[in-house]
Amino acid sequence: MSNILETKGLTVTFGGLNACDKVDLIVPEGKFVGLIGPNGAGKTTFIDAITGYVPTSAGTAVFNGKDIGELKPHERAQHGLVRTFQSLELFEDLSVLDNLLVAGYQTRWYSFILDMLYMPRKDDAIEERIQWALKIMGLEDVAESMPSDLSHGRRKLVGVARALAAGPKLILLDEPAAGLDTAESQILGGHLREFLDHDMSVFLIDHDMGLVLSVCDYIYVLDFGKIIAEGTPQEIRESATVKKAYLGEEAGEIQAQAGQRMTSLQQDHAEIEDD
Amino acid sequence: MNQFIIALIAGVGTGSLYAMLGTGLVVAFRGSGVINLGHGAVAGYSAYVFNELRTSGDLFLPWFDIIPEWGVLQTLRISNIPTRIHVFDFEMYIGKPPLLPTFLISIGVSVLLGLMMHLLVFRPLRNAPVLGKVIGSVGVLLYLDSVIAVNFGGQNRSSSGFWIFRPDLEPVSNFLGLGGTIPRANFYMLLVAVLMGAFVFILYRYTRFGVSTRAADENEKGASLLGYSPQLIAGINWVFSSVLAGIAGIVFLHKTQPSLYATFVVGALGAALFGKLTSIPMTVLGGLIIGAMSSGGVSLATQDWWPGWLESEGVRTFMPLLVIILVLYFQGDKLPIRGTLSAGKQPAAPASRNVTVGVIAAMGFALILSNVFVSKWEAVLTTSILATLFMFSLIVIVGYLGQISLAQYSIAGFAAFMMIRFIGDGTLQRPDDYYVITGLGMPTILSFVCAVIAGTLLGLLIGLPALRIRGVQLAVVTISSVLAIEELLTKSRSLMGTGAASIQPTPSNPSWFGQYIGGFNKETFRTDYWKYSLFLIIITALVGAGVVNLRRGNTGRRFLAIRANERAAAAAGINVKNAKMLGFGISSAIASIAGVMLAYKIPAVQAENFAIFSGLGLLAFVYLGGITTGYGAVVGGMLVAGGMMPEFLGVHFGDVERGMINAVGAVGLIVNAIVTGGEGVALLQSNGLGKIPLRLLRRNPDEDEDSEANEEETVTEGASI
Amino acid sequence: MTDTEAITETEQGNSDRLLDIVNLSSGYSGVAVIRDINMHVSPGEVVALLGPNGAGKTTTLLTSSGLLKPLEGSIQVLGESTNFGAPHRTARRGLAHVPEDRSLFFGLTVAENLRLGLRGKRKEQAAGYEAALDLLPALRPLMNRRSGLLSGGEQQMLAMARALVSNPKMLLVDEMSLGLAPIIVERLLPIVRDIANETGAGVLIVEQHVHLALEVADRGYVMSHGEIVLEGTAADLMERQDLLEASYLGGDIEEAE
Repeated sequence: MSNILETKGLTVTFGGLNACDKVDLIVPEGKFVGLIGPNGAGKTTFIDAITGYVPTSAGTAVFNGKDIGELKPHERAQHGLVRTFQSLELFEDLSVLDNLLVAGYQTRWYSFILDMLYMPRKDDAIEERIQWALKIMGLEDVAESMPSDLSHGRRKLVGVARALAAGPKLILLDEPAAGLDTAESQILGGHLREFLDHDMSVFLIDHDMGLVLSVCDYIYVLDFGKIIAEGTPQEIRESATVKKAYLGEEAGEIQAQAGQRMTSLQQDHAEIEDD
Repeated sequence: MNQFIIALIAGVGTGSLYAMLGTGLVVAFRGSGVINLGHGAVAGYSAYVFNELRTSGDLFLPWFDIIPEWGVLQTLRISNIPTRIHVFDFEMYIGKPPLLPTFLISIGVSVLLGLMMHLLVFRPLRNAPVLGKVIGSVGVLLYLDSVIAVNFGGQNRSSSGFWIFRPDLEPVSNFLGLGGTIPRANFYMLLVAVLMGAFVFILYRYTRFGVSTRAADENEKGASLLGYSPQLIAGINWVFSSVLAGIAGIVFLHKTQPSLYATFVVGALGAALFGKLTSIPMTVLGGLIIGAMSSGGVSLATQDWWPGWLESEGVRTFMPLLVIILVLYFQGDKLPIRGTLSAGKQPAAPASRNVTVGVIAAMGFALILSNVFVSKWEAVLTTSILATLFMFSLIVIVGYLGQISLAQYSIAGFAAFMMIRFIGDGTLQRPDDYYVITGLGMPTILSFVCAVIAGTLLGLLIGLPALRIRGVQLAVVTISSVLAIEELLTKSRSLMGTGAASIQPTPSNPSWFGQYIGGFNKETFRTDYWKYSLFLIIITALVGAGVVNLRRGNTGRRFLAIRANERAAAAAGINVKNAKMLGFGISSAIASIAGVMLAYKIPAVQAENFAIFSGLGLLAFVYLGGITTGYGAVVGGMLVAGGMMPEFLGVHFGDVERGMINAVGAVGLIVNAIVTGGEGVALLQSNGLGKIPLRLLRRNPDEDEDSEANEEETVTEGASI
Repeated sequence: MTDTEAITETEQGNSDRLLDIVNLSSGYSGVAVIRDINMHVSPGEVVALLGPNGAGKTTTLLTSSGLLKPLEGSIQVLGESTNFGAPHRTARRGLAHVPEDRSLFFGLTVAENLRLGLRGKRKEQAAGYEAALDLLPALRPLMNRRSGLLSGGEQQMLAMARALVSNPKMLLVDEMSLGLAPIIVERLLPIVRDIANETGAGVLIVEQHVHLALEVADRGYVMSHGEIVLEGTAADLMERQDLLEASYLGGDIEEAE
């Protein structure tokens, strides 16, 4: 099986401090990989680095068999490496649907002439994908609304839907559950694994241990910019290193337990859906 | 060689002015985060006040009487606002009024200007997006320039100077054994500039006020949590900055006319950017370097080997621009300009639904107007439509793409002059023309196309910096290019033909498909030929429909995405650089069309037709109309000086009246930026006028948008490290 | 005013409270992030505000110092209502807030940062300055260094010291341990205890290290999804581990009880 993303020794330095320190990480094709770590561990910096938003000072990143080190952020997105932002970063002046359309359609040099003559180009595959993204994020009823009219949680979902609309091969989710209420969080958690059925792999950052442990196939743990542990959810849950260095205290323990509960909850859900 | 070095040193005079104005710019920037494009105009106003006090003893306050002299208002005794105070009676003094009181009164006016800028413009705009603040400072520039025209007639005046600042002092000859002479006052000005810089430097370095200004500049939230009011700090710095501008203006008065001060802001911007908007010593040094470069460049331009097409005035105006471009290109990322990536809340830009209906209705309306009115009104109508046509270019670049280009009107001018050159065949166009334009002798349509292409290329060139910089930096570059374009290209006789520097005759017989479509009616000798009106209406309708359609399609969505958030736009796979170039290209093409259409209308064009303040006036009015919609351009076109609205209200041409209209436009621009965030009249109307009071309520009493922005920043910062 | 009535009706004898939050709802863009919060801090007391990420702890602090506008309810800081939109006025009355991002002035030296915190008469200024540096002596050799060049731990110390030199009567500290190694946190946290003991100031700390926080605190509140789900003395909270765990999971308190 091939790897959709592979980093070797990826290092990002801010003012002498290594925000990411020789990170080796693999996302196999069609898999769901998670990255956890405490606040300020360098998780978002890692996503910024592989999407081209911060320069790397050492190491390589290979996406879909191609070294992407020299590519610009928009080129990486066009290649199918699409991210969401923790701080939303929606296009506030565009409706929800327009937000998705922007990401969905690529333009050619002559597109503006067609646009000025109002001869819009429709692509059924893209339209279908956009409708699917709206549906799976539960945004169909607000497609024509402006993002500013939505609750914080639903705005967050618009961000994910916009990334889905771009037709990613690998979607990088930066704390999609932060700021969501319990119900919204469960909706999201329930749908995340469906992404895998649409020809994409998923890379998830979150500090909600419960969510990460329940949906991921494989997990990396980052602290002070270094990978300190990796393994299956089961291994992470039991890893002494993780407990000591990152979870350390009871709070982590509690969250780990929450993960177990959520897993079982989800299994319940799945069973119900099967019925 | 010695001559060249002497020229470099002689540049110390202008350089000192740039240094002083640059210092004031940095002070205002550190205090409030605003780059004040009107800083030169503040110096100019103080200089006029000083000059007027010394010549007539009158003090003009920085506004004018706008209350019309209607009977009702006069019986209510609401007949005028005080604008003119007679301070010095010449009977009492032999010669001129005493120096010190005159000086202090002039500085007092500077203080007043600083307070007005803070309280009426930038404090209300403190939570506005970058675009809003830039528009605010454009408003200040346009307002002060217009009020100067109204109060002081805008005429050139010279001053014989005062005290040690006099042109008639015995010059320093054989300075450092280099030969040649340098005006003595230049060195005194250098002394003032250095003292001013040292004073500000010490103030910022060692006093608590200075340290807190630097602190608030860097982190407003942190400063307010420590008990410092950012707005108080901003206010004090605004007043301080204005006083520095006033001193600079008065000291420099013996060297130039006050009417030129507004444009000196370009050199000041160069100086301030050289100091990265923070370092006072580097700003002073930068000003002196730019002064030396300009003076040295002019000296070189007089040499035999110098290429003749690079005229000396062009070289002089190009030097500050060169410094600005170099600093922004190499240091742009390190400039402490607040909030540049995500632009904040922008004026809404809804897509229009019934474009065809709207266009047909507008065309029909315009045609009816053009037939109903007698000849004089037809000329007025085409003035409005021309303005509308040009405004479509601003809607694309500013409204959709969010790039504040202040040079689009210069591109229109460039294209108009290029069209004349392309079509020129060396024959006398009209019996009374003074100049004969030689050129390529192209047919009308081909010259139109070539001129539009030339204008578009120039626009792309100006847009190049936008690939690396954005927001206020782009406004700085583009406003600085305006003078350089005018002097280097449009007025260049070798490039544009013999009349370029003064008055350039337009082709007398422009014909499309065999039809004469010039605006000049050969029978009535007026600019009211109906075929021109029809042609202009059709072109404007086509362009307008294209611009409105752009918003409905994917290109417009992408432009708006970039306007909202460049980071996220790149994440959505948008090639931001290409899209910006596309925007500059479309906008410049439209501006070029507008320029050529204007040249078809009138028998001769001058570079002054496309001067900086005419362009800013058009920007003000399209903002007032609504910068994001087609309606905005239509409404804006009605409002311009010489257009439908002012003519209906009976305000006729003339420098003073034009000044008044532009001043009203500038006030409208500022109010509009504060109240609607730039959405303008047209959009408010389509949203229902009832929303205005709501907006006012929401914006004024609280600052929640501010804290929101702060909060979001906190979240991002906390997470990204 | 209904708010003040509510206070006098529900809470008696609260005049000595330094921070008194009553029925507070607050959030961003009119959307409530925290709902119906009641909380108080008395002189000399260290209170820990705990809870999982996104529970609304930072929002509570931002609203208390006037950076956010309350949607409902009231906040009394040092006996007066918070001035929304003028956090500097609240600060001048004696509230010091160390925000999550620390809000240091990176372009300024350590000494200049501290100087900006000084308040009051010259004598008080000198006393506050010395007291703060006595608590955080590691800063002394760094006085002329630009604060942007400090390490994370030093920056956090500077943020604390800058808050302390103003002789605050009430201190809010948000996520002191963010991005710091546990060993530094163990050194820094006890300082807030010292401050409360020595100056009689009230301290409210937001902390992710639950146990470290409870070790220095007198009382604690636990927030989850914008509400206070648990409160009590530090000792009680330590003992009731099951309740604490449940509140971190959110909403299962009845079950755990």
